Amino acid sequence: MTTESVLRPAAEQQYAAELAAVAAADDRPRPPRWRMSPQAVVTYVLGGRLPDGTVITPKYVGDRRLVEVAVGTLVTDRALLLVGVPGTAKSWLSEHIAAAVSGNSMLVVQGTAGTGEDQVRYGWNYARLIAEGPSEAAIVASPVMTGMREGAVVRVEELTRMPAEVQDSFITILSEKTLPVPELGIQVQAVPGFTVIATANDRDRGVNQMSSALARRFNTVVLPPPATEDDEVEIVSARAAQLGRALQLPAEPPALEEVRRVVRIFRELRNGSTVDGRTQLKKPSGSLSTAEAISVVTSGMALAGHFGSGTITADELASGLLGAVVKDRVSDTAAWQEYLEAVVKERAEWRDLYRACQDMVG
Amino acid sequence: MAREQPLPDRVTLLGIRHHGPGSARMVAAALEAVRPEVVLIEGPPEGDALLPHVPSLTPPVALLLHDEAEPARAAFWPFAEFSPEWRAMTWARVNGVPVRFFDLPAAASLDDPEPSDSDSADDVPKAAVDPLGTLAEAAGFDDPERWWEDVVEHHTDPRDLAEAVAEAMGALREEFADQVDARTLRREAAMRQNVRQALKDVEGSIAVVAGAWHVPALRTLPPASVDAAALKGLPRKKISGTWVPWSHGRLAASSGYGAGVASPGWYAHLWECAERGDAVPRWFAKACGVLRAEDLPGSTASAVEAVRLADALAAMRGRPSPGLSEVMEATLAVLCGGDATPLRLVHEQLVVGERLGEVGEDVPTSPLAADLARWQRRLRMPPSASVKPMRFDLRKDTDRERSKLLRRLEVLDVPWGTPDTTRTLGTFAEAWQLHWRPEFAVALAVAARHGTTVEAAAGTVLIARAAAATRVVDAAETLSQAVGCEIPEAVAASRQALDRCAAAATDALELLSALPDLATTVRYGSVRGTDPELLRVALHGLLARGAVGLPLACRGVDDDTAERAVRAVEGADDAVRLAADDEHRDTWQRALKSLVAMPDAHGLPTGRATRLLWETGALDSDEVATRLHRAVSLAAGATAFVAGFLRGSAALLTADPRLFAVVDEWLTGLSGADFAAALPLLRRAVGEFSPAERRMLGDRVKGSTAGGAVASGDWDEELAARLVGHVRDLLGAGAGAGTGAGTGRAGAGA
Repeated sequence: MTTESVLRPAAEQQYAAELAAVAAADDRPRPPRWRMSPQAVVTYVLGGRLPDGTVITPKYVGDRRLVEVAVGTLVTDRALLLVGVPGTAKSWLSEHIAAAVSGNSMLVVQGTAGTGEDQVRYGWNYARLIAEGPSEAAIVASPVMTGMREGAVVRVEELTRMPAEVQDSFITILSEKTLPVPELGIQVQAVPGFTVIATANDRDRGVNQMSSALARRFNTVVLPPPATEDDEVEIVSARAAQLGRALQLPAEPPALEEVRRVVRIFRELRNGSTVDGRTQLKKPSGSLSTAEAISVVTSGMALAGHFGSGTITADELASGLLGAVVKDRVSDTAAWQEYLEAVVKERAEWRDLYRACQDMVG
Repeated sequence: MAREQPLPDRVTLLGIRHHGPGSARMVAAALEAVRPEVVLIEGPPEGDALLPHVPSLTPPVALLLHDEAEPARAAFWPFAEFSPEWRAMTWARVNGVPVRFFDLPAAASLDDPEPSDSDSADDVPKAAVDPLGTLAEAAGFDDPERWWEDVVEHHTDPRDLAEAVAEAMGALREEFADQVDARTLRREAAMRQNVRQALKDVEGSIAVVAGAWHVPALRTLPPASVDAAALKGLPRKKISGTWVPWSHGRLAASSGYGAGVASPGWYAHLWECAERGDAVPRWFAKACGVLRAEDLPGSTASAVEAVRLADALAAMRGRPSPGLSEVMEATLAVLCGGDATPLRLVHEQLVVGERLGEVGEDVPTSPLAADLARWQRRLRMPPSASVKPMRFDLRKDTDRERSKLLRRLEVLDVPWGTPDTTRTLGTFAEAWQLHWRPEFAVALAVAARHGTTVEAAAGTVLIARAAAATRVVDAAETLSQAVGCEIPEAVAASRQALDRCAAAATDALELLSALPDLATTVRYGSVRGTDPELLRVALHGLLARGAVGLPLACRGVDDDTAERAVRAVEGADDAVRLAADDEHRDTWQRALKSLVAMPDAHGLPTGRATRLLWETGALDSDEVATRLHRAVSLAAGATAFVAGFLRGSAALLTADPRLFAVVDEWLTGLSGADFAAALPLLRRAVGEFSPAERRMLGDRVKGSTAGGAVASGDWDEELAARLVGHVRDLLGAGAGAGTGAGTGRAGAGA
C-alpha cells in the first residue's frame, strides 16, 4: 500500500524516511525490541538536525521535558497515560512515539462506551470454535494480545470512555504482563518491549473515571495547550499545510496572517480575556482546542479552493469560526456576538472579518 | 609598577559555592588533610566576637549585624548545616583551631548603597553570584550540586579539588572581567590584608574559605600599600550583633535573597545522604511519606517506579545520576498522577523543606528579645516557620495573654500573628495565623530602643503615636490598639489624644468615620480589662459632635465627598446600633432627620439617610414615597438620591416585601412623563447591582403580586408563631428593629 493511495497514512508510513534516518544515525543503546534509543525517539518527536545534515521535522511543539518524561516512562515498567483537554495532541504524540519505538502505530484499541472486553483481551472465531472446539487457532487476538506477543507499543485511545469494568481488565495486563486464556488453560506472556500508551481527556462529559487501582499502573503526563501564540500559529499553519496536501485541496496554504487571526481568536476566547489583558470576555462552552483551529483553517482552504478564489479570505474563515465557537446555541451565540462587537470590530485591520462574521450570524 | 608576590604555599585557598553541600564536603575533607593553624572564612570581622557561641547553635542560623546608632541598618549572613562556611566553623571548634572572618568590615559594607549581604542583588551577573553554577550550566547540568557530585567530585582526587576550582575560576574571571565591580575589588583588598595579618600571626598553615569567585584575586598578593590605599577612608561605626534563627524558606531564592539557593531542602537531603549514597531512593521514600501524611496515595511500589523513571530520565539526558529536575518530573508523573497540587506539597515540604534553626540561651540578645523569648516559653508559643492557625478564648487568662502579646508585637512592627478576619467568632474568641519570619529579628533590634520588655516598648510606641496624632481617625486607631494591648498608660494617652483631635476637628465626616473603630473597641473593651465606660464616653463625645455637623457637611459638596459621607453615615449608623445608648441613638436619629430635611444637601447621603430612617421606622412608607417623588422632580441630584436609597440593597429589595412595595408603589404611581424622567436615574441606580442580583430583581418584578399574597395568604399560623418565637429567643431581646422584617421572612419561608 503506497502512501498516496490512502486517505491518511499512518505515522510510520508518512515519516518512514525520517524514522530510517534517525535510526541510522542512532548509536546509543536500545532497549529490547526498540527500533531506536530513547534519545533518538525524543529527537524524532521534537525535530532537529542529524549529524549527517538530515532535517527532522518537529511532530510535537512544546516542552521538551514532557516528551522526555513520556519516553522515559516507556523504558520503565509503567504504562504511559497522556491527559489533557481535547485537541492538545495526545493521540498525535502517542501515534508518533509508538511509530518511533515499535515501528507500528496501528495496534490501537479505541475506547468508546461500547468497547467490550474482547477488544481488550481476545475474541473467538465462532465458526472455528464450533467446528473445532476451543483452540489457539480459534482465538481472535486483540491489539493488546498482539502487542504482548510481539513486544510492541499498544495504543489505547480515550481510555476513560470505556466502561469501568472494561478499563479494569487492563490491570492484570499491566501489572502481571500476562493475559490468561482460561478456556485453553494457557496464558500469553508479554515479551520485553510491550507497553501501553493511553490517552484520556479530562474535560469532556460522559467519561468514566479511572479506578485508582488502574491509575496506579500509569505514569501520567499532562499535555497543556500551546504555551504561546507563536507556538500555536506554528502548529496550525504546519498542520493545515500538511492536511491540505493530503486532502489535495486546490487552495494555497493560508497566509500566516490569516492563521494568526484564527489562533488569536481561539486563544482569547479560551482564556476569557484579550491578548493585551484589557478586556474581559465570556468563555464559550466548547474547548476551542488547537485541533479545532486547524480544522477551521483547513475547511477554509477547502471552501476557498472549491468555491472561492483559491486563497483564504475572511469570508471562508467566518463560517468555520462560527461552527467552532458556537456549540450551545443560546449562550455561545451571545458570547460570540459580544466578542465580535467588543473586540473584532475595534481592530481596524479585522474589518473584513467582522463584516463576514456579521453576515453569517445574520 | 608594584611586584606581585604569589601566595605562600602554606595558605590553602578553598573556593566554595555558598550553601553548596558539595563544597561543604570539600572543605571538611581539605581541612582534615591540611590541619591548618587558623581558618579564615568569608564574612565580616565584627562577627568574630560571636564565634564562641557556635556550639549552642542549630542551623539554619544567621549572623545578624547592625549599626548600633541605627539598628534598622542591618544585614544577615545565613549559614545552613550544609554551608561550607558552617563546616569550617564546626571543624575549627572541634579541633580547637581559631577562626576569623576576613571580609570587609560590616561597618563599611552596611554603608554601601547596594544590599550588603554578600553577593546579593539582582543586577549582579550570575557568573559572579554563582560561578560554579555557571560552570555546571555550561556543562549541561541544571542542578549544580549533582554536577559537582557526579563530574567534579567523583573524578577528581579530593586534594586537588580546590586547585581545580581555582583554575576554573581564573578562566571564568577572565571571561567576565567586566563584571567585577569596585565593591568586589574593595572586599578583595580587605581579604588580602587579613591574609597578610594571618601570615604574620602564625607560622603554620592557613586555610581560607571564600566564595569561588574571589579565589583568583587571592592567589597573588600585591604590595600591601596598594590594598591599604583601596581601603582608605572607609566609614567606622560601632557594630553590634547576634545570632538569630534562620529558616530554609528564607534561604530559598524565591523569597528574594539573591545569593540563596532555590532548593535548600534538596541540598540538606544531598548532604545527609552523601555518605550512604542513597539520595534518590530515600528522596522518593520521603516524598511518599509527605503524600501519605496528607491522605494522598503514595505507595512503596510507586516509589520504586519513580526511582526507575528518574534514572531513565537521567540516562536519556546523559547525566550519571538524577538531579532535582529529574526527581521532580518523576514525582509529578508517577506519584502525583500529573496533578500539580500534590507536587506543590512535595516542593514546599521537601525541596524547600521548612526548617527553623535554634539559638542557645547564652547568645547575647537585646533585653527586649530576651523578654519575648520568656513570654514565648511561658505562653507555650514556640516560633515556627510554617503558618499555624490558632484560636483564642479571651475569657481564659493564657489565651488573653497570648492575644495581648501578639497585639503588642504588632505595634512593634513584628507581625508574628495576623488576625484572621474571615471568620467572626463573636466577642470572646479570636482567630490568628501565626508565622514567624527570621527577619523579625531586625524589627526587634529596632524596637529594642523603645524599652526593655515587650509591654514597655509597645507602651512607648503607642504613647508616642498618640502624642503625634493630629486626625481623629489616627487617634481612634491608636486607642483601639492600646485597648487591645491592654496598656493602661497608652489607653489614657490615646484617650486624651482623641479628645484633643476631636476638639480641633472641623470636619464632621472625619469625626464620624472614627466611630466604627471605636464602637468595636467599646464592645470588646470589657473583655480586654479596660473600663468600657471610659470608651463609651469618648464614643458619645465624637457622636454628638459629628451628628451636629453632619447635615452641613453634606451641603454643596462634590461627588467624592458625598461618597465619603455615605460611608461615614453607614459606619456611624452601624456603630450607633452596636454601642450607643438610647439617648445617643436619638441624637443620631435627629441628625439623620435634619439631613433628610435639608433641601440642598447632596442626594447620595440624603438618600441613604432616608433609607436608614425608614428602616428604623422613623419615617413611614408614605413619607419615603414623597421623598422619592420630590427627588425625581429635581433634575439635579436625583440619581444620587435614588442611588443612595437603593445602594447595596438588591438582596433586601427582593426579599423584603415592604421595601419592594415602597419602591414599587412609587414607580407605578408616577405619571407617564415623570416615569420617563425617572427611568435613566433608576437604570443607573440599578446598574450598580451585579447581574445575578438584577436577574433576581427582574424575577421578583415579574411575580410581584405573589409577594404580598404569600405574606397574607395561606400558611400555618401556629407553625410560624413557633418559628418566630424561636428565632426571637436566638436573637435575644435586642432584635427589636428587625422583628418586622423577620416576621415577613418567616412568613415567606413557611
